[in-house]
Formats: sequence, C-alpha cells, structure tokens
Amino acid sequence: MTMLSVRGLSISFGGVQALNDVSFDVEAGEIIGIIGPNGAGKTTLLNTISGLTRASAGKVSLDGAPISGLRPPRIASLGLGRTFQMSQLFPGMTVLENVMSGLHRKMRAGAFAAAFRTPSMREEEQATAEKAWEALRYVGMERFAHHPGTALSFGQQRVIEIARTLIGEPKLVLLDEPAVGLSVNRVAELDRLLRRIRDEKGVTLIMIEHVVRLVMGVCDRVLVLNYGVKIAEGKPEEVVADPQVIEAYLGSEFDAKRLAS
Amino acid sequence: MRLLLGSRPFLILMFSALAIVPVVANPYILYVCNLGMLYVILAVGLNILVGYAGQFALANAAMFGIGAYGAGLLQVKLGAPYFLAAPGGAVLAMLIGTVIVFPALRLSGIYLGLSTLAFAMFSQWVLLHWNSVTFGGGGFPAPHLDLSPLPIGPDTGIYYLSWLVTMALVAFAWSLVRSRIGRAFVAVRDGEIAAQSLGIDLLRYKALAFAISGFYAGAAGALYAPLLGYVAPEGFDLFQMIIQKSMIVVGGMGSVLGSVLGAAVMVFLLELLRAFKSTQEIVFGSILIVFVMFRPRGLVTLLQRLPGWDEPLSSFDPRRLFAPAASAPATPPLAATRELADGGRR
Repeated sequence: MTMLSVRGLSISFGGVQALNDVSFDVEAGEIIGIIGPNGAGKTTLLNTISGLTRASAGKVSLDGAPISGLRPPRIASLGLGRTFQMSQLFPGMTVLENVMSGLHRKMRAGAFAAAFRTPSMREEEQATAEKAWEALRYVGMERFAHHPGTALSFGQQRVIEIARTLIGEPKLVLLDEPAVGLSVNRVAELDRLLRRIRDEKGVTLIMIEHVVRLVMGVCDRVLVLNYGVKIAEGKPEEVVADPQVIEAYLGSEFDAKRLAS
Repeated sequence: MRLLLGSRPFLILMFSALAIVPVVANPYILYVCNLGMLYVILAVGLNILVGYAGQFALANAAMFGIGAYGAGLLQVKLGAPYFLAAPGGAVLAMLIGTVIVFPALRLSGIYLGLSTLAFAMFSQWVLLHWNSVTFGGGGFPAPHLDLSPLPIGPDTGIYYLSWLVTMALVAFAWSLVRSRIGRAFVAVRDGEIAAQSLGIDLLRYKALAFAISGFYAGAAGALYAPLLGYVAPEGFDLFQMIIQKSMIVVGGMGSVLGSVLGAAVMVFLLELLRAFKSTQEIVFGSILIVFVMFRPRGLVTLLQRLPGWDEPLSSFDPRRLFAPAASAPATPPLAATRELADGGRR
C-alpha cells in the first residue's frame, strides 16, 4: 500500500530551481532516507509535502488522498507529522505541555468549554496529560516532563519533538535531520527508537539525514537529491556506491568505501 | 496565613477583600478600587492577546473606547437599557477587534504594532470628528447605573457589577490558559511553523485571541462609562495604551496573575501621581523601558518561585515579541553544520 506518492514535484524560488520534477513513492511501514549535499532541496521537499511551501508543479498524495495545495494544519490533520532541523519546541511551555499540544487537533473543547471548565473538557484534559506522559515514557524523556523544553540539549529536544508528533497518531512522520549533533551512543538510541516507532506504532518515516551510520542502519531505501534533482534511489548500500552520488557529495576522486565505512 | 500559599487562594482572598470595600471605604477609595478592577479586566484581556498569543497589537485602548462609546451611545441615542447596552458595547469591541486579525495574518512584531497603532489613531479620529454620532471632542454624559427598585446607590451598584464581571472574566482567563486553547495561543506565539504542523490553525487562534481581548476591553469600557458618568475621546488615547501595556509588562507577560498584579500596582501609581499629571507619561514610559530591559517577565516571576504560585505556560522571554518572527526554518548554525559534516565518519 502506498503511503505517500510524489509526482513531478517542482518548485522555484526566483530563478533557483529548488526542486525539479521529483517523483517517488513510499510504501506504508517503510523508513526512507533523503540525503544530498547542502542546498540540494531536501528541506524544501519536506516543506512542500507538509504544505509550508507551495509547489509550482506536481502532485502529492497521502494514503491515497491528494494533499497538494492544502494548508499545513489540514495536512497535519490527515495524519502527517513533522519534526524540524532546528528544534521547534515551544519555548514558553514545559516539555509536558509541548507534548500535550501535539494532541491539539484531536481534542474537542472549544473556548466556552475551556472557560467554564466543563466536565467533558476536564476529562479530555486529564486524558491528554496521561497520553503525554505515556508518549514521554515511550521516548524515555519522562524525567524532563516539567522542565522548560529549551533547557534541554538539541538532541533531547528533537526526541521530544518526535514524542509531540507521535501523540497525534500520525500515519507518516517527516523528520528533518533527527541525528544532528548526537554522539555515537545517542545515534544508536535514535536508531532503536525509530525502528520501534515503525514496528510498534506502524508509522511510516521519511527522514533527511547526514549521519551515514543512521541512514545505513535504519533506512529501507534512500533517495538522493542534488540541485533539486533526484539522482538516485535504492537500498542504502547501493546508493552510496553509486558514482553519481559520490560525485555529488565529494567530487569525482573519492573512494566509495571510505564513505560507507 | 496558609491561604496565602498559592495564587488561587490569593485571588479568592483579594476578591473577598474587594467585596467589603463599599462597606468600609470612602467614595474615593471605592472609585479607585473600581477603576482598579476595570484595569484588571483590561490587563487580562491584553495579556491573552499579547502575552499568550504573542500578537504585539496596540489597539487595546481603542477597544476600551469602543466599549465605552458603544454602551454609552446605545443608551443615549437609542434609549437602550444599560443591561442591553453594556453587552452591546462589549460585543461591538469584540467584532471590531477581530477585524484586526487580518493585518496580523501578514505582520508580526513591531510591524503589527505600528499597523494596529494606526488603527487606534484612526478610531480616535472617528471619535473626535464624527460629531453627529459621537458628540465630537467634548464627549457626552453617560447615565450612571440605575438599580432603582433596589436600595443600592449608583456608585455601589457599578462597583458590585464590576466586581462580578471582573471575577468572572479573571476566572475565564484562568481556565482558558489551562486548556488546549491556551496551549494553542502559546504555540502560535512561540512557533507558527511548528504550530501549523501540529494542526493548529493560525487564523482561527489569532482571531480568537483578538476577539477575546476585544471583548475584555469592550466590557471594561462598558463598565467605565457609568462609573465615570462621562465618555470623552481623551480617555482612550495613546497614553491609555501605554498604561495598559505597562500593566502587563510590569505584572508579567503571559501570566493571568501577573496581569492582576500589574493592574493593581499601576493603578496605585497612577493615583499617586494624579497631583503631578504631567509626570505620569514620563514615569509610565520609564517604567515600561526599565522593565522590558531588566525584568522582562515582570513582577510575577518573584512569586512564581514560591510553591503554589507556579503557572502553566509561563517560561517565556517577551523580548522576542519585538523582533519579527522567522518565517521559515533557519539553516543550522555553523557549529551544527560542522558536527553534521563529521557525523558520518566518526
């Protein structure tokens, strides 16, 4: 079953062609890596899928439903989760409040119910807090529940962002460089966490990642972008051996084995 | 004394104390306490918009005026009874306040501040020059509150009405910020991109914040007209805006309790300086600057350290409001980029 289908996606900013006729499919339950040199259009691709950037041409559909042209909150409510390269935790909230806000779209209480603290509103609030604790335990961050989110390291903040996204039970999550700046041990933990999310929660994952260890370890397939063009797609070990990919990253005189090691 | 060990008991105690003011105090103290409560409403409403939802708007004094004029004119021009005219004024302010959401969808920070300031200037101009409706620069006498079958004088009557409304509106705000709505406001303030990605609709929550704060300002205005017995444009000018702004800055941006504290402190100061009217603007302006620079989160942070005084959604540096928000996820800083470059080989 196809979870995400991207067809002929193009976008240009002024004269710069940020994405050029990019097409690919993601099957439900896959973990897809997107790699490519800086400026290749990886984040633009995620932004376009999640509706933050409007494509000049092309179509995107999520789980069979067309989503191109919809606004981000609408796309989110169709089951698309997203984390960011620079942590986007809300600095004014504690970790727990941050995670609770991930359930916003599934909650019902309106302004009047909230102002009058109706019994159903209180019940919903209670249930949300419990789910948030559960999500924090799932990612192993419950001890930070009452800390301000921004007091944590960037790596921890990104894991909490993952919890905030997961609590809304998305079908597909787009992760923008979840492993930036993590130590080797933390990368291994993240590797395990991402697998658990896929295996236990049945969430399909697409991640931009530069940490080759993580990409090689966890991704079923890898997509390579260079100057907005998809230049390769396939199993991680195939892709890193592709001469075009090596050239895109390192120029032409570099040994593929060193990159893969 | 144990009652003082928390913000909720403190508020209950404060409102209980305010309830007996008409019995024990002279008319001047009664008036100041009444005015103080109206400023509590104004500060709480403004704080929902600026402190929680992060919309740096400067039109609250105009909304206050629209509430007062609405309530006054509905009585004077259309002969409506006060208990219809007052909600009418508040709803009018809410509707006009909501319209300001349209610039707020495009602008943020200082740019939103300037455009809403222009709106406030425009409403001031309308109040001054639309003589046939607003009675122009001289204003008009608004009826005092008449509860005639009841043995309650107008001063005591408007006081208790203000007391009830203030309590209700503080309680509503208190509950609101402890709900998904409060979290959505803070999400919109702290990160529009992340908020949208979590399914939080910016238009809806900005409009809601403008509507709520417009309603609060309008309600305060509708109570102000019979309290003063007179409605004139100069009560709703730029200085009024500075008073309200300094209340939430001094008390604490993004804090309901802070709004209450700030209103109390600033009304006290305002009365203290009443004899030196020319110094008021200088003093208030200076206080605003000093707090923004040295205690940006206001007096309430002193209390929030105590057990029982902590508030939800309260870690926030309001100085960020003055800078326009970044519109797209930024590129990683140099350190992160370097880390990212060796990431694969380590």
